[in-house]
Amino acid sequence: MKNKLWVGLVISIAVAFIGVTYQKFLKNPHCAFDGSAVPPIYEVDIVLKDHSVKRFCSIYCAVQWFKKNNQRIDHVLVTDEIRGTKLDSYIAYFVKSELITNETNKNRIHVFQQRQDALTHAEKFRGEITDDPFTIDD
Amino acid sequence: MIINIYTLIMLFVAFLSLFLGVFLFYATIKMLLGFKPTVPLETKNTYEQAGYLVFLTACVILSVRMLAWPWFYFMLQSFVPEVPGAMCMFGVTQILPFTVTFLQIIKPISFFIMGGWLLCYSVDKAVPTSPLIRRNLYFLLIACIVLLIDSITDISYVLRMKPLMSVSCCATFFDVPLRPSAMIPLAVFGKHFQEILFVLYYLINIFLVILLFVMLSKKWLFFTAFTRKIILSGLTVAGVFNVPVVIYAFIENIVPRLMQLPYHHCIYCFMGKGVVPDAPIILGLFVIGTFAIGWVGILRMLCIQAETQSITEHLIKKINGLSIFCLLASLVMVTIHLLFT
Repeated sequence: MKNKLWVGLVISIAVAFIGVTYQKFLKNPHCAFDGSAVPPIYEVDIVLKDHSVKRFCSIYCAVQWFKKNNQRIDHVLVTDEIRGTKLDSYIAYFVKSELITNETNKNRIHVFQQRQDALTHAEKFRGEITDDPFTIDD
Repeated sequence: MIINIYTLIMLFVAFLSLFLGVFLFYATIKMLLGFKPTVPLETKNTYEQAGYLVFLTACVILSVRMLAWPWFYFMLQSFVPEVPGAMCMFGVTQILPFTVTFLQIIKPISFFIMGGWLLCYSVDKAVPTSPLIRRNLYFLLIACIVLLIDSITDISYVLRMKPLMSVSCCATFFDVPLRPSAMIPLAVFGKHFQEILFVLYYLINIFLVILLFVMLSKKWLFFTAFTRKIILSGLTVAGVFNVPVVIYAFIENIVPRLMQLPYHHCIYCFMGKGVVPDAPIILGLFVIGTFAIGWVGILRMLCIQAETQSITEHLIKKINGLSIFCLLASLVMVTIHLLFT
């Protein structure tokens, strides 16, 4: 029985590691700007005119890439930090606060679907609502 | 009604178990009414054949019915694209909410009772004189009643399910500050309930595993009857207490961390969206591990007799082993996710 228990435990550990690997490396793509893993909660998708998609790990990386390639861009999808849902950047609320989302690039811009969530975050982390960083100046 | 492969299979299983359940209920009552401790030799063969048919039908239908519980969640997940506004199973549960809530309560109960009956029957079957047959028939009556209620509700739900209304997102229920999963532990444990729940989750599960190991060890035979009773009572109390602790710890702490969505507490998103691919395994292992503790209790209550003692003890050891494995594996898998995700 002990042998069966150990075999079973080893199998479940292997399954858990497969799950972690899937979450970290397979499901989460790598940032098209700095190559790091893209956390689902901060994912930014830039949809190009040829319908291909570039994924980014933070608003900072997406903005850097956006500035250099804005002629090719169709629209930008950002992720609501509360629900994890993707929405067009035009309808999202952006908050610049003291809370850092990415230690590598010190991104401080947060995305929310609901205005109330944005205000709550701004109050909690001493931030303020900012403009959509993905607007193209005419 | 939404027609897809999940609803068709659900309906088929529900109708089949309803018809066979009615037959089983009738046959069980008939057997109980005509039950005699000693049967004349000339009618023994007919009596054995009737009993064999009843128990075979019961084994098949109860085993199939037990699988209807996970299948129910597959079916709910398949409704998500059909229901306007639904982002996960929670949205689906907003249509016919009373029926869905009832099904979500009756299904684990029926899984537990049916599993318990199958184990009691396996003990009885292993002894040539079938000393537990009468108890098993009474127990089968209870299982039949639950089976019939479960099947009828399944049929009613699947036939009445129409995605005609728009539903709200799970965040409006699970992520609001006054959510029940936060308010109840807050009232019990105070301001730091999340940390307390997390510590309790580990403590109780480890405590359960240790108690189960003690029961499997050779020392168990040398304990006095009183000490055994204390350990068994401790195990039962901890097992029952563990259920709400695990549910609240998952919703409040583990689910947001594992999904990498620190403000999202929806257990349906965790189960069905594939964000954590092994989430159903983690939850399934916990459920079987906890139910196994209850099944051991049922075996101790109903199946310990002079004739069946050794077989029951042997089966209890096996189920204890299963419980240890399931609880430990679930705990280890959660820990690995928490450490490495």
